[in-house]
Amino acid sequence: MIKNYDAVVIGAGNGGLVAAARLAKEGKKTLLIERHNLPGGFATSFVRGRFEFEASLHELCGIGSITGKSPLLKIFQEVGAADKIEWVALDEAYRLLTLEDDKCDYLMPLGKDAFINKLEEYDPGSKAVVTKIFDLIESIEKTLDFVSNIEDFKPSMIKEIFSEHTDFLKVANYSVDEVLKAFGTSQKTRDILNGYWCYLGQPTDELNVIHYFTMLHSYIIDGAVIPRGRSHQISTALLEAFTENGGDAWFNTSVKKIIVKNGAATGVMLDDGTQINAKAVVCNASPYNAFTKLMDEKDVPEKLKKEVNAKTLSAKGFAVFLGLNRSADEIGLNNHTYFIYPTNDNRKCYELSKRLETNDVQATVCLNRAFDDCSPEGTSILYMTSIFAGDEWSKVSVKDYHKTKIAFAEKMIDNFEKATGVKIRDYIEEIEISTPMTYARYTDAPAGTIYGYEASKEDGIVKRIVFDLIDKGMPGLYFAGGYTTRHMGYSPSYTTGDMAAKNAILAMEKEAK
Amino acid sequence: MSKKKFSVNGTFKDSVNTVKFLTERKQFIDSAPAVLPTRTDDFGVNKVAKSLHPKEQKLVISRIEEHADIAKSYYFNSEAPLAYFKAGQYLTFKLEIGNSVVTRSYSIASSPASALNGEYQITVKRIADGFVSDYILDSWKVGDEVTAYAPEGNMTYNPLRDAKSIVAIAGGSGITPFLSLARAIEQGDEDCTLTLLYGCRTSGEILFKTELDSLSEKNEKINVIYVLSHSDEEGYEKGFVGADIIKKYAPDGNYSIFICGPGGMYKFLEAELPKLDKERKYIRFEVFSSGKKTEDPKEYSITVINRGEETVIKASSSETVLCAFERAGIVVPARCHTGECGFCRSKLVSGKVYIPEGEDKRRIADMQFNFIHPCCCYPESDLVIRIN
Repeated sequence: MIKNYDAVVIGAGNGGLVAAARLAKEGKKTLLIERHNLPGGFATSFVRGRFEFEASLHELCGIGSITGKSPLLKIFQEVGAADKIEWVALDEAYRLLTLEDDKCDYLMPLGKDAFINKLEEYDPGSKAVVTKIFDLIESIEKTLDFVSNIEDFKPSMIKEIFSEHTDFLKVANYSVDEVLKAFGTSQKTRDILNGYWCYLGQPTDELNVIHYFTMLHSYIIDGAVIPRGRSHQISTALLEAFTENGGDAWFNTSVKKIIVKNGAATGVMLDDGTQINAKAVVCNASPYNAFTKLMDEKDVPEKLKKEVNAKTLSAKGFAVFLGLNRSADEIGLNNHTYFIYPTNDNRKCYELSKRLETNDVQATVCLNRAFDDCSPEGTSILYMTSIFAGDEWSKVSVKDYHKTKIAFAEKMIDNFEKATGVKIRDYIEEIEISTPMTYARYTDAPAGTIYGYEASKEDGIVKRIVFDLIDKGMPGLYFAGGYTTRHMGYSPSYTTGDMAAKNAILAMEKEAK
Repeated sequence: MSKKKFSVNGTFKDSVNTVKFLTERKQFIDSAPAVLPTRTDDFGVNKVAKSLHPKEQKLVISRIEEHADIAKSYYFNSEAPLAYFKAGQYLTFKLEIGNSVVTRSYSIASSPASALNGEYQITVKRIADGFVSDYILDSWKVGDEVTAYAPEGNMTYNPLRDAKSIVAIAGGSGITPFLSLARAIEQGDEDCTLTLLYGCRTSGEILFKTELDSLSEKNEKINVIYVLSHSDEEGYEKGFVGADIIKKYAPDGNYSIFICGPGGMYKFLEAELPKLDKERKYIRFEVFSSGKKTEDPKEYSITVINRGEETVIKASSSETVLCAFERAGIVVPARCHTGECGFCRSKLVSGKVYIPEGEDKRRIADMQFNFIHPCCCYPESDLVIRIN
């Protein structure tokens, strides 16, 4: 059987869902294919006993609960998904705790002024310089807005960048540490400002400053939110919007092959032999899967092969989901986001996170501090996430798997209790543990990676974006999601999904002319 | 930006540094080999993931063991390694019976270690009106190949959640997950104690008695007590497993209760367990379906949408939507049949369904957008359902 579409989207992860929703909204006949029985990829939830657990979202930035400046919300509105999602705004950024050496406990609020003032309390005299840093953060954001809105790159735009976006250009190739040190910040100020590093999985001595500052902007200045129905609500809302706009979504369906003709993607072949012809193929599968499973070697352009090989896979995920049989108040879970690190030296944390024995990094969320009725009265939900640099889990055998995951989960619970002084162990009514194997199982992530490629010095966000403007790799093939220009994460994946759709639409329009 | 010019290493050096990234990037990509990267399936983590959760397992019946006339144990092996599991989990089999395609789940009776040695065991009991169990008991023979999915299920021991002592209450063929647990304890793969209260009608209906007695005898972590409801025999407890029997045999200190058995047993325990005054976290059970609604069944039609193609099938208000699918040979990836696992999740485009109280395990957003788990929904009108 042969079917014809304007566009086919492989995978209903965050990038694929937004791409599909945008294409359908713009009147393109679109088919979305997902091999699982539900949408979302990482963005999902699961029920255990009387609890519904969020699978991966800690908080969503880019919705702009504080400033109302919401590039992401705009996307959701435009594709018709926004009014299907109920957002809860957060007021807390994070509580930062360390286990040893430089033992600390900082509680930081969201909101630019609140954040700067709180930092001044912890590190008196920091206000002037931190204010300047936030000025730079806002200046950089303006440049990123400009770059993001480039639909059709022309060399003349380089001139505009050079004349109008000098702040951006000055720091574009520096690390976070290089820039923060140039401002003359104290170690303490840097420790606090760098709290979010684990959300990108890269130490700040090589993490690109534009990357980190844009994240600070979308969390601290714009504000962060939680969808009441977990990320599954976003995923399902996007799917509903897509089908309402005439899109076809096929679940429990696998793509066998991306069809390539004369160096351009022209459709896909499904597991049952159905051929889908399309002007655009949006791929939400990782390049690893696309190139090694969905394409013939001869069809993969040399440049794309080199790109994958040059890059390094980023952090591998581990999470413990706890349904507790006491309320957050009773237990003393007073905060929403806890960053617990062995030390504030994030390079050291990163190196330690390569091994099971030494990894003590965790980002933990008590969902009841976003909205208390997320679990039945008298209960609470806590989920702890850790990241592993390197590929330690590949050494874990099938036989040792269950014991290894229980042991690491136990260490995370112990570390949480040690850092916060809050006892949770006796109140665990439901527990689920996900490992790199779990992420590999559900998303086909290579090595259980949850952050795509490392945001290394060589492969930082600016380099990715600029080179993507110059060369998109293969006509007809558009990658969306965590392995693309904006790095992994919810907001970036939605954004790149939208960009993939827009690029596809633009190419279709050019072709039509 | 403030009026005072900011620079990192001086204006000139900053500009040079920025320009540098173009060449840095080019070198970075150019120096990499133009070959295909590692296949996703070849990463160590992905290999283990695949081994733990294969999409399907082709199992060959290697041996059948008869348990009087009550039940049969089926032993399977496979050319491929069998998926490892936790004691307490089940296998879901996919069967084609006539024009129907059905799935049914059976707890694994063998130990996790035996899966690593290439063998699974399940036990199927003959029950009244057992469409699938009758089919299995009457037609499966040694050498047959059957299809099963990867092991699933949450009634497993977790030391971070459960008490170190487990009091397991088994009824009839509900013994199998606990036989697996007892074997796992004996083999050193689970570190808990097990007090097994095994309820049967008569001593003749006790499954695996020789092995259970032997485990109870030689392993101090395992204690097996038989409770007979329909006969008074020496050496056995009489009656149903309730609060008194649990109290009599429960170990000192804290313990968790695990339950697996027929519906009647759950109903009895529902009234008994509150007497123990235990926190909910210490009581876990393999969920069960409350079954058919008994009122006058009504006939309805279901329009099933699959990849854009529509099929109209018949349904009855006394059977689940999944059951209607199965009868019509419509394949959905169902597993648990109790509303819990969510594999059969489908979109209810229009129509009304009844979900028995306590069986609605859907996600919040699925309720919002009218997605259902067909395995625990009964039609109350004509329906339109999108399965794919």
